[in-house]
Amino acid sequence: MNHFQTFYNMKTGVVDLSARTAEVTPLDRERLPTCFGGAVVNRTLLKEYGDALVFGTGALTGSFAPASSLLVATFKSPLFDHVCHVPFMLRTGPDMKFSGLDFLVIKGAAPELSVLYVNQGIVNVIPSEHLRHLSVSDAVTALKRESLPVRSAILTGTAADRKIPHAAASVGVTGSLDKAGLASRMAAKNLKGIVFAGMGGLPFRKDHPDIGKALIQRISSGKHGKTGGFVSVLKGLDGGKEASKPLRGLTIKNMACYHCPSPCMSYVKFARHEPSLLLLDHEGWIALSRKVGEHVFPVYRSCLQGGLDPAGVAQRMPEGGGITEWLLDPEKMLPEAGKDRISMAPPEASDVAVKHHALFGGGIPPILPGDLWEKRVGLAMILGVCPLFLLRFPEITDMDLLRFISQDEVALSTLEENLTSLINAVAANG
Amino acid sequence: MQEPVNEQDFSLKLDDLRPRAPEKKTLSGYFMPPRHSFILFDPEKCTGCGACEMICSTRNTEKVAPASASVKVVTDETQGKTFAILCQHCRKPLCLEACPTRAIEKGKDGIVRIDRLFCTDCGLCTMACPAAAPLKDPKTQAIHKCDLCEGDPLCVKHCPENALTFTRGKAFRWIKGLRWSVQLISFLLLVMVFVGTFCYFKAGEVTLACPTGTLQNIASSGAILLIGGITSALALLILTILAGRLFCGWVCPFGFVLDLVDKITPKKLGWPAFLKSRMTKYGVLAGAVGGSYALGFQAFCTICPIGTLCRSYGVQSFFKSAELAIVPALASLEIAQRRSWCRYFCPVGALLGLTATLRLIKIVIGAKKCKKFSCIQCAEVCPVGIIEADQLREGISPKIPMTECIMCMRCIDRCPYDAAKIRFRWQQAAPGEEKT
Repeated sequence: MNHFQTFYNMKTGVVDLSARTAEVTPLDRERLPTCFGGAVVNRTLLKEYGDALVFGTGALTGSFAPASSLLVATFKSPLFDHVCHVPFMLRTGPDMKFSGLDFLVIKGAAPELSVLYVNQGIVNVIPSEHLRHLSVSDAVTALKRESLPVRSAILTGTAADRKIPHAAASVGVTGSLDKAGLASRMAAKNLKGIVFAGMGGLPFRKDHPDIGKALIQRISSGKHGKTGGFVSVLKGLDGGKEASKPLRGLTIKNMACYHCPSPCMSYVKFARHEPSLLLLDHEGWIALSRKVGEHVFPVYRSCLQGGLDPAGVAQRMPEGGGITEWLLDPEKMLPEAGKDRISMAPPEASDVAVKHHALFGGGIPPILPGDLWEKRVGLAMILGVCPLFLLRFPEITDMDLLRFISQDEVALSTLEENLTSLINAVAANG
Repeated sequence: MQEPVNEQDFSLKLDDLRPRAPEKKTLSGYFMPPRHSFILFDPEKCTGCGACEMICSTRNTEKVAPASASVKVVTDETQGKTFAILCQHCRKPLCLEACPTRAIEKGKDGIVRIDRLFCTDCGLCTMACPAAAPLKDPKTQAIHKCDLCEGDPLCVKHCPENALTFTRGKAFRWIKGLRWSVQLISFLLLVMVFVGTFCYFKAGEVTLACPTGTLQNIASSGAILLIGGITSALALLILTILAGRLFCGWVCPFGFVLDLVDKITPKKLGWPAFLKSRMTKYGVLAGAVGGSYALGFQAFCTICPIGTLCRSYGVQSFFKSAELAIVPALASLEIAQRRSWCRYFCPVGALLGLTATLRLIKIVIGAKKCKKFSCIQCAEVCPVGIIEADQLREGISPKIPMTECIMCMRCIDRCPYDAAKIRFRWQQAAPGEEKT
């Protein structure tokens, strides 16, 4: 019995941007019990299709598992020069599944700037030259005007259009943890964004809601159950206490990704007449606040608007340098040839290996010690659960999550064995 | 010649298919209305995780399909706020009125449901609903709405932040019952039993007088002759300092008449904009005092609706006075707007309003505790229209002008979120904003 069929649409979209064609192929159902999904299937598809961008969901993405929000983007990073798995949270993963696709392979480069629109298992390549040189928020507004149902969108901003290497893909207007140059890869393919209509649904097993609820209750009654929000995660990181000072006394509203019981993001209103800012990039915030101190808010906002990685910007900004001048002259942002390819190393206090930190996009904070961090993030990337959530709540075990896939003890032990070897494989070579 | 055929109309009418049950109104139903079951949403607790949408959709579609859920979480990215669009199961649902096929009905349990057999998915209910709660399934285009899972809502059970709470409403609105009782007793005492005593009353050393009448008396006589009258008029003013314009909302017999007229004329014609100035009543007060000074007698008292009611409708003087016409004439203003007389013209209210600037208490509505988005029941029930619904929608605690508030406490009674409270005037924090 294939336990995975409940979790997938069993469809992979393959888009050839150069020919502006898209086809939907059935997902190899025999492959799933040994691959699970997520980063492992992404990697396989990347090998199969060569120089492509692969977006994929995990088995539990969109299910009743807590924080089942993950969408993994797998590609060869122009910054790190190796394959990376960049996590996208909020609602992107579930919305891709609810749009009818489990995996999306994007190959070739479009002759003109394009947007991919995924709805009901069909991918449309929409020419979108009018979105060129639009900021992320303007692009979102322009897309909304087109009267298409949109639940999630991964977009690039002006930074990608101008070939700035630290351009970062953004989920809507809220940024992301992309520190590996996905936006640059998208720009190289003349791809402005991917839009998910998210109008469909997925079947579920009758006991899934109760299993999910029990896990959430366990978390809520646990040690860290009552804490949440951007600041609480920030304070647990190296340099986080100092970086949280500009947030003191401000109106903060905590926000969570899809089905997550413990929020790690926050809307912050730092000036009465300014719109709120959703903070989700802990490492970016720390790096930026180290560099610009109390001016971190406007600089962070500029990064989101332009579609830039705040950590990358902080790394390249000179002491006291203004971001406006930097953005006006993108040449300054270009790395020197042949050196300094890694944009962001993990904080010095952490023992997470630089290689692994970069492997998973360079934006997942090192909350746990190195070995454990790699295993938990690998688990998240395969099953399609938020890696930050699994790092924050180590009490949620592999077996807890596997119970969503099967209740049969024999099958579970086989699945656990497979999963362990897959985690090691992902951590070893991506 | 061919005989004309008796044409019989065989076409079915809507009433044949779906007769609408007549609304039964009983006195007990008025004080103890059917329980109003609905889901309370706390925007402060909601993190926008969408667990409510997930679990709700499983009931609608037997799939996890948040877009097809009957509850929708909306995030305002510029304000950093979340809202939940879900049916409030209104007491008088506008969707029910708007439905051309009568597919929507409100059950005896208070739950508003759509009967799929009759629904044509026209979407008029969505347009009529102030919260746009009937939602269209993006895939099937079918209209669906929350039915409270027949009294055991799944979204409430699965919300990890407890941002949703199921309530069956208040069993008994004790403030409403108490207010009507006090109003009735006051009316009987002041109008029927102690005829004319509101204007002036003296029994031994005890003297009571209408404060506006006393002012006119002073103006017309040119001297402060009735020391007892002044001190007794102060009684009402002291009550106003202690408890606001409680007299207007709870005791005034003409206010009681206006509330009764309001019950029989629920639909209002509206009031011309140029007459909508709450300052008019202060002009009337000044005119009453000035007129009394010029004419040498208490001019306004002759046409005062409270005074004429108290003087002319009692057992002894019933149908004996030309003043009788004043009360129905001024009460007919109620057709235009609720408590029109109190809002714009009443000089007694004006004097009490001026006194209320020294009040010790106030009514506050904490926007943080309130639903903000679609409830605004407090603004709807306020008889003098001083609660700004738009401010509540924007999440701002409205500033209630206590000089205009008649302390009827309908807002407190009605609010399902306990967001309306009485506070001392020096207390700054609104409900939900207190420091913990």
